[in-house]
Amino acid sequence: MSINQTPTDQTRIHTPAPRRRTRLDAQFDRIRAREEAGLARSGSGSRAVRKFLNNRLAVFGLVVFSIILLASILAPILTPYDPNRINLRAILQPPSWEHWFGTDRTGRDLFARVLYGGRISILVGLGSALLAAIIGVLIGVYSGYVGGWLDALAMRVSEIVMAFPQIILVLLLVSILGQSLVNLMLIFTLTGWAGIYRMARARMLSIREEEYVLALRSFGLSRPLIAYKHMLPNALGPIMVNITLSTAAFILQEAGLSFLGLGVPLSIPTWGNILNVAQDIRVLQTAWWIWLPVGAVISLFVLSVNFIGDGLRDATDPSQQG
Amino acid sequence: MTFKTLIAAGLAALLSTTAIAPVLAQPINENPLSDPRVRKAIAYALDMETIVETIFEGQAVRAVGMLPDGPNKPTDLIRYDYDPDKARALLAEAGWDSSRVLDVVYYYTDQATADLMAAMQAYLADVGISMNYRLVEGDVASQISVVPDDPVNGPSKVTWDMLYGARAALALQEYFNRYAYGLKPMIPNIPRMNELVAKVNGTTDPEVQREGYFEMEHIINENVYQIPLYYQQLYTYESDRLDRNGAPYGNEQYNYNWGVENWTIAPDASGKAVMYTNAGPSQFFEVPWQNLGIWVANKFAFDTILEADGALTPIGGEMAESYSVSEDGLTFTFTLKDGLTWHDGSPITADDVIWSIGAATKFPVTQPVLQATMKKIEGADAFIKGEAETLSGVSAEGNTITIKFARLDPNVLLSFSQFAPLPSKQFEGVDPVTLQQAAFWQKPIGSGPFKIDEVVMNDYTTLVPFEGYHKGTPKIEQIIARPSSDNDGNLLVNAQAGRADFGYTKAAGDVPGLEALAYMNVYPVDIPYTRMLWINQFPHPTR
Amino acid sequence: MLTYIIRRILILIPMAFAICFLVYLGLELTPGDAVSHMINPDSAGSMDPAQLEALRQSLGLGQPFHVRFWAWFTNLMQGNFGYSMSGGVPIASIIATRLPATLELAAVALVFSTLVGSLLGVLSALKRGSKTDSALTVVGMLGVSIPEFFFGLVAIWVFALNLGWFPVGGRSMPGYVTFWDRLPHLVMPAMVLSIMLTAGVMRYARSSMLDALSRDFIKTARSKGLPEWRVNLLHGFRVALTPVVVLIGFRLPVLIGGSVIIEQVFQWPGIGNEFISAVRSQDYPVVMTIALLSVMAVLLASLIVDVLTAVIDPRVRLGD
Repeated sequence: MSINQTPTDQTRIHTPAPRRRTRLDAQFDRIRAREEAGLARSGSGSRAVRKFLNNRLAVFGLVVFSIILLASILAPILTPYDPNRINLRAILQPPSWEHWFGTDRTGRDLFARVLYGGRISILVGLGSALLAAIIGVLIGVYSGYVGGWLDALAMRVSEIVMAFPQIILVLLLVSILGQSLVNLMLIFTLTGWAGIYRMARARMLSIREEEYVLALRSFGLSRPLIAYKHMLPNALGPIMVNITLSTAAFILQEAGLSFLGLGVPLSIPTWGNILNVAQDIRVLQTAWWIWLPVGAVISLFVLSVNFIGDGLRDATDPSQQG
Repeated sequence: MTFKTLIAAGLAALLSTTAIAPVLAQPINENPLSDPRVRKAIAYALDMETIVETIFEGQAVRAVGMLPDGPNKPTDLIRYDYDPDKARALLAEAGWDSSRVLDVVYYYTDQATADLMAAMQAYLADVGISMNYRLVEGDVASQISVVPDDPVNGPSKVTWDMLYGARAALALQEYFNRYAYGLKPMIPNIPRMNELVAKVNGTTDPEVQREGYFEMEHIINENVYQIPLYYQQLYTYESDRLDRNGAPYGNEQYNYNWGVENWTIAPDASGKAVMYTNAGPSQFFEVPWQNLGIWVANKFAFDTILEADGALTPIGGEMAESYSVSEDGLTFTFTLKDGLTWHDGSPITADDVIWSIGAATKFPVTQPVLQATMKKIEGADAFIKGEAETLSGVSAEGNTITIKFARLDPNVLLSFSQFAPLPSKQFEGVDPVTLQQAAFWQKPIGSGPFKIDEVVMNDYTTLVPFEGYHKGTPKIEQIIARPSSDNDGNLLVNAQAGRADFGYTKAAGDVPGLEALAYMNVYPVDIPYTRMLWINQFPHPTR
Repeated sequence: MLTYIIRRILILIPMAFAICFLVYLGLELTPGDAVSHMINPDSAGSMDPAQLEALRQSLGLGQPFHVRFWAWFTNLMQGNFGYSMSGGVPIASIIATRLPATLELAAVALVFSTLVGSLLGVLSALKRGSKTDSALTVVGMLGVSIPEFFFGLVAIWVFALNLGWFPVGGRSMPGYVTFWDRLPHLVMPAMVLSIMLTAGVMRYARSSMLDALSRDFIKTARSKGLPEWRVNLLHGFRVALTPVVVLIGFRLPVLIGGSVIIEQVFQWPGIGNEFISAVRSQDYPVVMTIALLSVMAVLLASLIVDVLTAVIDPRVRLGD
């Protein structure tokens, strides 16, 4: 919306006055040659990477993110326990050397549940964000460049989707489609594509008028080819930022819905489902190890994703400084 | 013990089983769950003793048989004690296909149920049965209780393999009534059970009923048509401020002689005798015919025709001065006490009672036992269909009301001990079908010991004594009911804050927390409520 | 300007209609209806299906979809929200009893988060690059990363269950008259609801303050020799605050979404709480009305914000 269109994007065009060539000019020519030969992309890529790596918070985020992600993937190596294996003779045990995060009301090892639960929660978050991004970008890039009835339709639909407070729409869809892992990802995708679609479309609209696009068009390249092959890469930065931020949002939403008992079915361990028991006031009061560590893990993971997103934004978007 | 006696005992056991119902140890259709060996294996695989002791923290009784312990249950039922080896052997014998994943559904949203599901999954996995569990939502009734077009061969219309549910009974017949022809969504017809259901419903003789219960219990037990898991107790809790002054305890989910008008409570700091409870309304008061005594505010506010004791045996009249049942059991007569009034001061008349009986007959979600009684009144069919203006079987002479039944009902007195008449004048122009939608239910006018005073929906409801109540003006000066369902998630919190003086819970998980409070007393009450597994034995498409 | 506003409103109307229709259609596709929710599953099989069908008919559930939709919609146009199916209560009265609770919570959270958020944001901008700045950035990030219900749980655990400072939930008890009586109940949900908002406001206040500080008139003021604090206070703050006020309009969806979950955690008897229970009991008219009202609120807020932005900052071009 208009709040994003701050007037800071103005670019000034310098027209160099004719003057004597220097050694610097020769150097500049070489750089330009490289650039024209298409070698400069890796250079600009590494600049973004360097910038990202200089951002301490972003690096911290990346490290935490990797640790939690790897721990989830490597869960069978890290813990001998099966997350669904009960032991009714060892219920509600506080953390110990044997059970790092303690055990829950049926004696399941909570550390194992947090690790295995991470797999599903991250899958839901990242998977839905990627799906939403794919759909949003596919439609956004095409309709942004080509326009037409698809553009008009997608625009209206996205307006409707975005008019809802997200949780209200998600709850409506949950009650319509029912509870399952696949449905939840579907719902997140349905509610999440609009934002990235608008962003991709806006980028396309601004890139559309650039000279290289006009040049490509004059070569007679097909419009989808221009849009997806030549224009899309120039919008990748913000798209990546958007994917990370929606991953964070979806993980938070999965946790919230599962906490309300409206998310992933309880038979599948997820971070939100582990937290679900904290609605029971006695668990809340007497068994902090059931809900506190997993809540901390969710928070830490979402925090790390947000740091990464922020770092990516700073690294890829030159207009965002400080 | 000699060898001979052993053989004799064995033979006797063998004879007794075959005499009652020969167990065919093979599937009766393509669904492997129609094989009694598989169902037995499931029963043996679940360690209910341990589950009751841990997940339910000992606050439930492991079930053997459908009926709770008592004179109507045979004592020689097979116990199916935890025996995973036997379960595995039975499965091997039945040729269980271990790649089949059972779809298990449940509809309770409490934590203990979720824990039980996780435990069941683990126990069954241990003997080689895979299962997934899911909560049924939305239209629960149609997902669990739609019956197949062909009650003998199926296929079933429900799609699950097992359902975790319950039988809560006001009358013991309710435990078995769905074994009548064509009423079971998940079990192929069992001809002998049809006869037995008719037998226990067609007599008022407790001996004949008991015979029927014994035989039905044996048939279900030996064939494992369903697996009773545990008997739920109900826990009445009271703070030590409250004094019942000797009034009895009973099944709080129904109306009984709890003598609430004589209860006293220690006054609070301001000197007012206030009692805090829960189960208040959040949007509207429920019609008191649907869940007879679950909503405690309704119990305070409405009197019933007759009165029952804590075990729900009718013992006398409440609004009725006197009553009698004819020799053949088909005519029930009662006379209202003189001078009864509604809370607004208008007199309670025979017309009110007659209108209420008719409305309860038409009201679609009247409690099943109550409704079964009402529907046996002469002319009920025509009345429900709208062919008759009035219920022809009900008539009045002064304060005496006579009800004629077309068919014998075993629970007439029980039903009327739970039946609260409503002030008919308040419902002029209201169709009994949509009775619940009437504005009356925002602040009902009742007949009981307390009248509803202030209602702030979803915040609190207050009740004050009804001056001139026919059993004496109540002594507690104010009752404050917080909104909650009968499974109050905030019970412990409010109990800790001193805002729970009286109530009941069926959530075993609350009990240790309540007992830990020095000022709280908890009384377990045995109620007829059995949690069980229903097993779908029809062929059906899998999910 | 007036034509712009009128044009925006004209766009809203078909959109609102489309949203009504889609939501109604969606609920139509869900299994079950209000009648099936009146049945206790424990006795589900014992009810007489014919009588339940009669109840369905009486509630108008048996009519074709378009008839019910049109009846509902025309009533709505006449200002009649209809009746809750489960209890027959007029929805307008449900909204009327629930809305004050939600507004109370939202207002406290908004005021608190705006004050604290802009204060911290401005502080952060003034101390740009300092330890305070980075600490505040991290804190702000924490605010948007920790699930709000988890905040709520921790708050209940610490302040209600262990310290006993505040009640666990609810809003009022008999004898409560004024706002101050309810205050102990209000503190925790309002604070938890504020956290996410505060983080957003803080972020925004920081960047707009930075923007303001780099503007020419601040430099002028500084070069004139005004004391630093006066420069910051008088000019920077004022300029930076305008976008923050605008931002509040955009916080509305976050606020609505947040209050749905927070009201549930703290048993706060507001609209969000009602929405969840209506979704669970499939009380279509209530679900519809609340969804619609929230959408309308969001659309109106964005309209107001757009107009305000246009008024405040004429450089923002109108339209697309």
